[in-house]
Amino acid sequence: MIRSLIYSITFHSLMIILTVLSLPFMLREPVDLPPIVSVELIQISDKTNIPFAPKARKIIEETKKKEDERVVSEQAPPAAKAKEKPDRIPLPNEKKEEKEIVKKKQNPEEIKPQIRQSSEFEKKEIIDTNQIAALIDKAKEIEAVKKMDDNKITQSTQKNSFATGLTLSEEDALRAQIFGCWSIPLGLPYDQDLLVRIKLQLKKDGTIMKSEILDHERMNKPGQKFYKVLAESALRAVRLCQPLKVPPTGYDKWKELQLNFNPTEMLKG
Amino acid sequence: MTLKTNLKNILAIVFATLILSACSTAKKTGDLDGDVYTGKETVEYLAAGVPDRVFFATNKSSLTTASRATLRKQATFLRKNKNLNVTIEGHADERGTREYNLALGERRANAARDYLMTYGISGKRISVISYGKEKPINAESSPIAWSQNRRSVTVKVN
Amino acid sequence: MKKTIYIFLINFLFFTNLNALIEVDITRGNLDPLPIAVSPLHVDIKSENFKDLKVKDLGAEIAKIIEKNFRNTGLFNPLKKEAFVQKPDIAHLKPRFEDWRLIKAQALVTGKLLVKDEKLKVEFRLWDLTAAQEMTALAFTTTPSNWRRVAHIISDKIYERLTGEEGYFDTRIIYVAESGPKSQRVKKLAIMDQDGFNTKYLTLGNELVLTPRFNPTNQMVTYMSYFRNMPRVYLLDIETGTQEVVGNFPGMTFAPRFSPDGKKIIMSFAKDGNSDIFTMDLETRVVERITEHSSIDTSPSFSPDGKFIAFNSDRSGLQQIYVMRSDGSNVKRVTFGKGIYGTPVWSPRGDLIAFTKMHKGRFYIGVMRTDGSGERLLTENYYQEAPSWSPNGRVLVFYRETKAGNKGEGFSAKLWSIDITGYNERRLSTKTDASDPSWSSLLSK
Repeated sequence: MIRSLIYSITFHSLMIILTVLSLPFMLREPVDLPPIVSVELIQISDKTNIPFAPKARKIIEETKKKEDERVVSEQAPPAAKAKEKPDRIPLPNEKKEEKEIVKKKQNPEEIKPQIRQSSEFEKKEIIDTNQIAALIDKAKEIEAVKKMDDNKITQSTQKNSFATGLTLSEEDALRAQIFGCWSIPLGLPYDQDLLVRIKLQLKKDGTIMKSEILDHERMNKPGQKFYKVLAESALRAVRLCQPLKVPPTGYDKWKELQLNFNPTEMLKG
Repeated sequence: MTLKTNLKNILAIVFATLILSACSTAKKTGDLDGDVYTGKETVEYLAAGVPDRVFFATNKSSLTTASRATLRKQATFLRKNKNLNVTIEGHADERGTREYNLALGERRANAARDYLMTYGISGKRISVISYGKEKPINAESSPIAWSQNRRSVTVKVN
Repeated sequence: MKKTIYIFLINFLFFTNLNALIEVDITRGNLDPLPIAVSPLHVDIKSENFKDLKVKDLGAEIAKIIEKNFRNTGLFNPLKKEAFVQKPDIAHLKPRFEDWRLIKAQALVTGKLLVKDEKLKVEFRLWDLTAAQEMTALAFTTTPSNWRRVAHIISDKIYERLTGEEGYFDTRIIYVAESGPKSQRVKKLAIMDQDGFNTKYLTLGNELVLTPRFNPTNQMVTYMSYFRNMPRVYLLDIETGTQEVVGNFPGMTFAPRFSPDGKKIIMSFAKDGNSDIFTMDLETRVVERITEHSSIDTSPSFSPDGKFIAFNSDRSGLQQIYVMRSDGSNVKRVTFGKGIYGTPVWSPRGDLIAFTKMHKGRFYIGVMRTDGSGERLLTENYYQEAPSWSPNGRVLVFYRETKAGNKGEGFSAKLWSIDITGYNERRLSTKTDASDPSWSSLLSK
C-alpha cells in the first residue's frame, strides 16, 4: 500500500517536473515561428493571379483606362515599365525585414510599386485571408517535406534545405514566392505522377538569364499533353515571378537553380 | 391441385399473421400503415364497393392484407362481368430513379395481376402497363402523397 | 536552440559540395482559374452581308461565346473587355505582351474574320503572354450561319491547348423538355447546343417520351416512348426524322443505350414483373439476353471498350450497382456503401462510373472507380439523378427536381452540371423545364 503510494507520488512529481521543464520549450517555439510566417506574407503580397474582388477589379480597370490613354498618346512605353520591375523589390532591405517580425505589416506598403498602387484593396484582402492559411500551410509543408522523404517521390530531398546552400528561410522565401506565381492548370488529372523540373540560370538580382525544362523532349511526345501543359504553366510561373527572391549573398551557390514543380498534392487536395 | 390451394391458403394465413403482427408494432399515423396508404382519398371504384387500386410500401411490390381484400373484390367483380377486360397500371413514387421506377411499377402491376389470376381471372383479360413515377395522382412532395402514388390501378378497357 | 541550428548549418555547408545544383520543390501553387483575355475578333472591312446576320458584330459575338464557355468550365477567368488595352486587329497581328500582362492576363485569344462569297473565314491565335509567344493558331472556312459552332470549335482548340485534354463545347445535349402541371406533364424530345442555344424539338408531345441517348456519331437517338400506350424503346434518326421501334418485344422495353460501337442497343425488357437486360443488334436484328434473374435488372451502360456492362439490380434486396462482362458472365456487385444506388454510367475515359445515390431521403450524384472503390459524392439535393458524361469525361450533366407543394405547386425540373472534382456546379439554360439529359460526343473531330 505504502509502496504504491510512494510510486504514485514519485511518478506524479516526475510528471510535474517534466511538464514544467518542457513548458519553456513549448513557449519558445511560437516565438521562433513568426519570422517564417512573415516571410510567407511578404511573398503572397506579390501574388499575381488573384481573382479580383469586384471592387479591386474596378480600381484596376480604372488605372488600366488611364494607362490606356497614356499608351495611346505616348505610344507604348513598355521599356519604362520593364525597368520598374527590378527596383520594385528592394532585395537587401527585405532580407532584413524578413527577420524582423514587427516590420512585416509595413512591407506591403513599402514594396508597393507604382503600377500596383491602386490595388491596395486587393493586397489587404490577400493578406487577411492568407494569414491563417500561411500558418496552416507552413505545418503542411513541413509535413509534406517529411512525406516526400519517406516516399521518395522527388529525387532530391536530401539536397534540399541545409544541404542546398540556401537556409530554410531563404528556401521558403523563394518557394513561397513561386507558389504565388504558379497557376496550377486545374484540368490536370490528379491521379497521374506529373513532375516538371526546370533549370534556371540567374542573375544576381534574381532575374532569369535562361530557363530550361529538363525533360523537354517529353513535351512534344504524343500522349504527354498534360505534361506539356504543366511545363508551360511552370515556365509561366517562373517568368511571372521575376526577379526571384534570392539571398543577397552566395551568388555562386544559387546562380544555377533547379525547381521541381509537382502539383499532385494540390490537385488531390 | 387441392394440395396446392391448401398450401397456398396455409401460406396466406401464415403471411397474414406475420403481417398482422408486424402491423401491431408498426406506427399507424392517419392513413398510413407503416408507409402503405390505407385511406380512401384518390380511390375510385370499378363498381359499388369495388375499389380500383391497391397501395404499396416503398420499393416493395408485395400485397398487403388490405390489398388482397381489394383485389378479391375486383376478382369477384370481373367474374360477374365476363366481357370486361382491364389494364392494370403500375406506379411508383417520385423518390427513385426513373428507370428503376418503371420496372418497379411493372412489378407492382404484375403482383396485382397474378393475384387476380389466382382467383380465376384469365390472364388474357388483364394487360399491364407501368408508368413508373410519370403519372402521380397526388403531385405534392410529401410522405402521404408518395404513399398514394405507390399504387396499381385497375382500369376498365372496354 | 538557434545556436544549434547555426552549428548544424555550418557543419552542413562545410561538408556539402558547393557546386551541387540547388533544387527547390514547388508543391503548391494557386488554384485560381487562369486569367485569360479574349479579344473581340477583328471583322475585315471587306466583309459582305449575309442574310440577316449582323456581320459587323460577329467578332464580338464569337468572343462572347468563347468567354462564356471558358467561364463555365471554372478553369478559366475571362477578363473584362473594358480593361483591354489593344485594338483587335493590331492585337491579332502581334500583341503588346507587356500591356496585356498588366491586366494580369496569362493567355490571350485574338482573331479575325471575313464574310465573303457566302463563306465565313475565321482565324484565331492563342498567345502565351508571359512567354510572349504564340501557342496555337488555326483558320476555318464554313457557311456563315455556322458561326456559333465556329466559336465552340475555337473554344475546344484553346481548351485543349491549355488543359491538355479535349474540349466539350462543340457538342449538343438531348433531353426531355417538360411543360404543364406535374401530374400531367407534356414531354417532348429536345436537342440544343451545349450552351443552351439552337433548341429544336424532335417530338410533338402527344405521347410520353423518356430517357433519350445519343449514338456515338450523334446522328441517332434511342429513347423510350409511350406511343399508342405501348411503352417501347425507339430509334430516331435526327437528320431524317424517321422513327422505329427497337425489336419486337411482347412487353415494356426501357432504359436504352447504345453500345460504344453504335451497333447495338442495350436495354431492359420487362415481362411478368421481372425486368432483365437484353441487347439488339441494329443490323442483324438479333436479340440477345444478357441477364436472367428474378430481380429487377435495369439501367445498363457499356464500358467504352465494350467489354463490360454496369447495371442496376435489386437482387440483393435494394437497388445496387453491378458490373458484368458484356456477355452477362461474371456479375459482381460493386456498391456496398450506405444507401441505395442507381443509374450507373461508364465514363468515356473508362476509369469511373457515375451514379445516383439515395440515402436518408437525399439524392446524390457521385463517381467511383469501376470496381466500386473510391466513391466520391459530388452533389446532394432533394431530388436529382441520371448523370451523363461530357465527351472528355470532366463534367457531368444531370437533372434536378424541386420539392412540390400542394397540387404540385412550385415543382420544376432543370438540367445541372458539375465537374467530377465536385466544383463548379451550375444550371444549364433550357427554354422549358428539362430532364434526362444526354451529352453528345464532339460534333467535329
